[in-house]
Parts: sequence; structure tokens; C-alpha cells
Amino acid sequence: MAAGIESEPVETGVSPYRDVWRRLARSKLAVACMAVLVVFCAAAFIGEAIYWRYRILDVEMPSGTEWLRKGIAKALAAERVRGQAAPYQRQDIDRQYLKPGWNTVRSVDGSDGRVFYLMGTDNLGRSVALRLLEGARIAFQVGMITSFIAIPLGVLLGCIAGYFGGIVDDIIVWLYSTFHCIPSLLFALAIAMIVGQGLTGVYVGIGLTTWVGLCRLIRGEVMKHKERQYVLAARVLGVNDWEIMFRHILPNVFHIVIISFSLRFPAAIGSEVFMSFLGIGVQGEPSWGIMISNARMRLWYGVWWEMGFTTLAIFLVVLAFNLLGDKLRDALDPRLRTGEI
Amino acid sequence: MIPTLAGIIIVTFILFNYVPNDPAAMKLGKNATARSKESFDLKRGLDKPAICGIWGKTRAYSDTDFKRNAGPWTRVEGVRWTTNGGSGRIVLPDGGSYAVPFAFQLATTNEFRIKARYRLSATPGSKGAASSIVVSNSSGIVRSVELEPADGFRDASVVFNSGTNPGSIVVSFAVEKGTLEIGQIGFGKKASHFFDSQLLFYLRQLARLDFGESLETNQRVVDMLKRGVLPSLSLTVPMFVAGLMVSIVMSLVCAYFRDTAVDRFFVVLSVLLMSVNYLVWIVLGQFFLGFQWRWFPVWGYESLRYLALPCIIGIVSGLGSDLRFYRTVMLDETYRDYVRTAFAKGVSKRGVLFGHILRNAMIPVVTNVIIAIPFLYTGSLLLESFFGIPGLGAMGVNALNSADFDVIRALVLVGSVIFMVANLATDICYALVDPRIRLK
Repeated sequence: MAAGIESEPVETGVSPYRDVWRRLARSKLAVACMAVLVVFCAAAFIGEAIYWRYRILDVEMPSGTEWLRKGIAKALAAERVRGQAAPYQRQDIDRQYLKPGWNTVRSVDGSDGRVFYLMGTDNLGRSVALRLLEGARIAFQVGMITSFIAIPLGVLLGCIAGYFGGIVDDIIVWLYSTFHCIPSLLFALAIAMIVGQGLTGVYVGIGLTTWVGLCRLIRGEVMKHKERQYVLAARVLGVNDWEIMFRHILPNVFHIVIISFSLRFPAAIGSEVFMSFLGIGVQGEPSWGIMISNARMRLWYGVWWEMGFTTLAIFLVVLAFNLLGDKLRDALDPRLRTGEI
Repeated sequence: MIPTLAGIIIVTFILFNYVPNDPAAMKLGKNATARSKESFDLKRGLDKPAICGIWGKTRAYSDTDFKRNAGPWTRVEGVRWTTNGGSGRIVLPDGGSYAVPFAFQLATTNEFRIKARYRLSATPGSKGAASSIVVSNSSGIVRSVELEPADGFRDASVVFNSGTNPGSIVVSFAVEKGTLEIGQIGFGKKASHFFDSQLLFYLRQLARLDFGESLETNQRVVDMLKRGVLPSLSLTVPMFVAGLMVSIVMSLVCAYFRDTAVDRFFVVLSVLLMSVNYLVWIVLGQFFLGFQWRWFPVWGYESLRYLALPCIIGIVSGLGSDLRFYRTVMLDETYRDYVRTAFAKGVSKRGVLFGHILRNAMIPVVTNVIIAIPFLYTGSLLLESFFGIPGLGAMGVNALNSADFDVIRALVLVGSVIFMVANLATDICYALVDPRIRLK
């Protein structure tokens, strides 16, 4: 800056995100949804902790990370449960199909005991509530990891295409129109089948098929913003292209990413349920899709609780995401209401 | 359109030919014989190089890297495998001839190439070393290459023609003196020309509209597709048409009663419907309507009655998002200027709704309708397999469960092409329903 120019103090405005937050906090519905999602996330983290508590001592770690294993094992008190099966896998044929609530169980020595199961037990006497908790873990993972694949891909390609235009744009548009043409569910299933390896295949399958909508929206927005004054000013000041793209334009279109995340998360959960139901994906871990798949047949014998609680859990989480997504969209960018993301 | 088609072909090629490490092993299992894997490969062109190149592969001898074990060489007498003082390799001791263990006899009159990374050294206590790769048949030696003694590993390769009597071909490492160590052996079959590749094979198949053969049923995939289309359409078309009607009518009701309790009820309903997992609709629908209350047959494909239940489930499961979409479309139109003008000149509410709004809302409706058409073709993966409808959806699920690559590839490909055509049709329909748009 040349000397002599007095820099005037700039009035600090309210961050748009704080404004959105205030608007959301005013809506009771949005707060209720957030509460549901907080419970869901907590369940996912508790599920994760239980999972690792019973697994950390057996898992093969890459060399040099032994300290990490020790730390985790200590934090989770894994030594105390060494060699035991995880509680959600613990089978007890005498406790098969117990109803939710208090049940009388005859133990080995012939005496009757009272046991409590919040959501009953399944065909192998495993607690449905605990399995649901582990299912939340997997649902959360699927939502997060597929987002970590799809969102960076969509944002990066969208920004590049919108900003540079020309042949780069042509190639990226070609790429996403190709992906757009391929029936996404079948495509995701095919990718998951070919990649294999359980959940990894599911992540890659869902991740690689869901970036197109976001990419298209970002591209359109970036194209609009490219011509705005602040971008021209930045360019005149000699800021390089990548910095303009990611430090100047991206923050201005980032609300699209947030909305997209809130919409794709429940969709990813739904796809995972679908895929593990078809037998692609998690094996041996209690995911919600597998629970429905197992519970389906037992419904015919009157065992309603396994199916019922799983359905309820999926319903609540997806509903909360859908409603919150709507509110977010209204608060952040009402124009996007008709557009599919 | 053509670039997109090319894109679809490339993506399916990469996904089904390039990414899978060994489709034959994936499909036939790890313990399948080399001969059955070879016939799997030959049928699908997988013995050829991927995109272009001279050397393809044959299962008679797959490329081996002796890092972890001796591979097929465990069967050859006198050969040891070691990792002593270096990476894994096989050791061929002094004074013997070691034939490459082919799994089956080579194809006739084809060129093959064997390539070895070797180290030839003198046995401790004696001087000099001599060895060669010898290819011979019943009439004698066809080709032979001397290996050079050296301290480090070297490469040698021999190209030979299998001739008319490939059964008598023996490829061996003859170690006259010294010790021969081999780090890796590559074995290739020559493709008929440089571009004779999997890609070309695939393109040729597509040009003939041939999608290969299902490994599970041994039928031609084209025939399977033809047979599956009708049951699929008989489920999806009524489902789609009825669903469209219901959601448009409901959305018009919303527009009619906007900002009243009726509208709000439908909004809440659509979100609730949307949040129920598709799977749950099917399981509960089948359980209650089919099993518990016995209103509909539970499973089968015999008469129209059998289609009713999956149809209803399909409509209900799609209703939430459709209703929401069409409601937004209709409400967007109700705030336009022309609506106000129409009201101002005295058109009745019903007249505006049907005469003005519905007609103007046709563009997004048409888009949505046409975009949905390709999905009619693939049918509904789950509905069909749950209700035993022998359509393409059920076929797809079976193929996924049995890793039947060709069937899935065909489904993905045909589905994409139909979608592409539907996209084009959307543009044409725009021009038809909206005179402001001109096709260039």
C-alpha cells in the first residue's frame, strides 16, 4: 500500500452463517431436528467406541502405530474385555425373541431371572438396541465417507469447469453428463460389486455416483461469480487463479455445499440400507439394511420389534435430515428450492 | 450425444474390464481350473491386451513373480524357492533341464513370448556357467537363447510359434553349468494385430448389439433383456402413470388451497412419505396387504392381480418426492404475473388453475416425466425381486448376487443409452410445449 492513504476502519458485519444459525434456532422444528441428529451422532460415536473396544486388541496395525493402539485400548479399557465377543454379537439361544421390556429367562441352573431389553432380542438372542447402535455407526460412516468422496470431487471439478471455461469446461461437462446418464443405483451397485471388500465398495460406489448434481450447481454459480466485481478486483491485484477460485469464489458459493451435504446424507443412508439388504456391503456387522433384511422374515412370525425399531430409527434420522435440509435451504438460498441437488 | 455415448462406453469399459483384477477368478472362484478360466477369458476377449499392444495373456502360464512363493514351479522337480539374501526367487540347480509347467497345451499356430528375469552364476567350487532357454517340439529344437552369466539380474526373452502340434511344445530352462535363479517370468500370447484389444472386442460386440453371454444361465444377454422388458414395463408403466396422476392432482389441490391447512397437510405428508425407506414400504406392504389382510397375492407373476400390490407400493414410495416437486412447480407458477392478470380479468379460480397454471407448468413436468422414462426400463430392482416378477430388475439383482458381469454391464449400458435418448427427447418436447424455445 502506498503511504499516505488513510485506511478507514471497515464496519464489521454479521457473518451470513451466524444469521442463518439465528434463523434456524428460532424455528422449533429445526431445533428438534438438530436434537435428533445430535442423538444420532452420539449413538454413532458410542457405537464406534464399543466396536473398537472389542476389536482394537486383535486388529493388525501398520507398523509404527503401536502407540496409537495402546492409547485407544487404554482409553476404552479394552484389556478388561479381551477375548470377549462384542455385546451386539453376543449370542444366547435361551434369550431368543424376547419382547421389549422385562422378560423372565430361565438360566442354566434352573432358576428364573428377570432381564431387561429395551428393544427386545433377535433370533440369536442378541440385543436389538445394541445392534441398532452399531447400525447408527455404519450409517454415520456411510454418510460421512461418501460425502468426503463426492463433495470434494464435485466442488473441485465444478470450480475448475466454471472458472476456466473453454476446453476444460467441455471435458468436465462431458464427464458429468456421461455419469448423469448412467442409472445411478445400478451404477453404484456395480461399482460396489467390482470394488468388493465390503463397505469400501459401498463408499466408492455411492461416492462416485453422487457428485454430478453438486458439480453442476457449483459450476453454474462459479460462472456467475467469475464476472462479479470482487473477482475482477482480485484479478487486477494479481491474485492467482487458484486462490481466486478457492479463497474468493468458493466461500461465496459454499452454502450450496452445505445444502447438498444435508440432502445427500440421508440419501446415502438410504442407499446403504438398500445395498446391504442386497448383500453387497457390510457382512457380519449389524448395519440397518442387514437388520431389516434379517427381520423381514421374522415379521411373519409376529416378531415385530426388530423390524419396527430399525424402521423407526431410519425414519427419524432421515426425517430430521430432510426437514433440517429444507430449513437450511430456505435460510441459505431460497432459489434452490426447485433445483435438485 | 455422440461424445456422451463414447463416454458411456468408456466408463463401462473401464468399470468392467479395467478395474476388476481378475473377473474369471471373481466369477469362477479361486480354485477354478486354468482351462475354464481360459475359456471364460476367450469368450470375453479378456486374453487380449486392454487397449492396444502386442502381447496378451494366456492361462496356460500366467505371469509369475516369485516374491511370495514358487507358484506353479512347486510342481517342477528340483526347483527350490528362496528368499535368502534378496527378494523371492526360484533356484534351478546345476545340470538339469526344467520345463515351464504349462497348465494346458498352448493354442495352435500362435506366437508366444516367454520373458524371464534371471541371474546365472557359477556354482561355488566350480568355474563357469552356461544356460539357455530352449523351445523344442517333437522334431527338435525350435529356438534357443543363451543366458549370460552376471552378478545382477538380467532379462531374456524368447519368441516362438506354437505350430500345428502345440502339444509337443516344451519350453525349458536348460542349466548346463552353474545355478540359475529366476525372479519373475512373463508369458504372453501375441494378439493378431496392434489394436486387437479388449476395447476393440467390446466395440465390435456393441456394434453387433451383442452383450455376450450370461455366465449364470448360459443364455445370450440380449435374449434375456428382450424377455425381461415386458414384465418390467407391465409393472413400471402403470405405476408411473398412476403415480404421476396422483401427484399432479395432489399438487393442484395444494395450489388451489395454498396457505391453508390442506396445503400444509400435504407438505407434511410428503416429507413423512419421503422419509420412510423404500425397503420398508416393500416389506410392510407385502406383510400387511399381502400376508396379513390377504387383499393381494403375495408373490408371483400370473395375472394383473399380481401386479396390483407392487404397483401400489411403488406409487406410495415415490409419492412423497413427486408431490413435493410438483407442488413447488405449481406454486412457482401461481405467483407469476399472468396469474394475477387472469384473476383480474375475472377468470375463475378453477379456470386459472387448469387453463393457465397447469399448462405453463408443463415444462418442468415434461422434463421430469421424460427423465423418469429410462428408469421404467430397468424396472424396479427390489419390487421385482420381492414380488417374483421376472423383469430386468430381478435379473439385475440376481446378476449382482452372482457377479454376472456381462448382464450388469448390459443393463448399465442400455439404461444409460435410453437415458441419453430421453434427454434428447426432452429438448424436443420443450420446443413442442413451449413455442418460445426454438431448436437450433
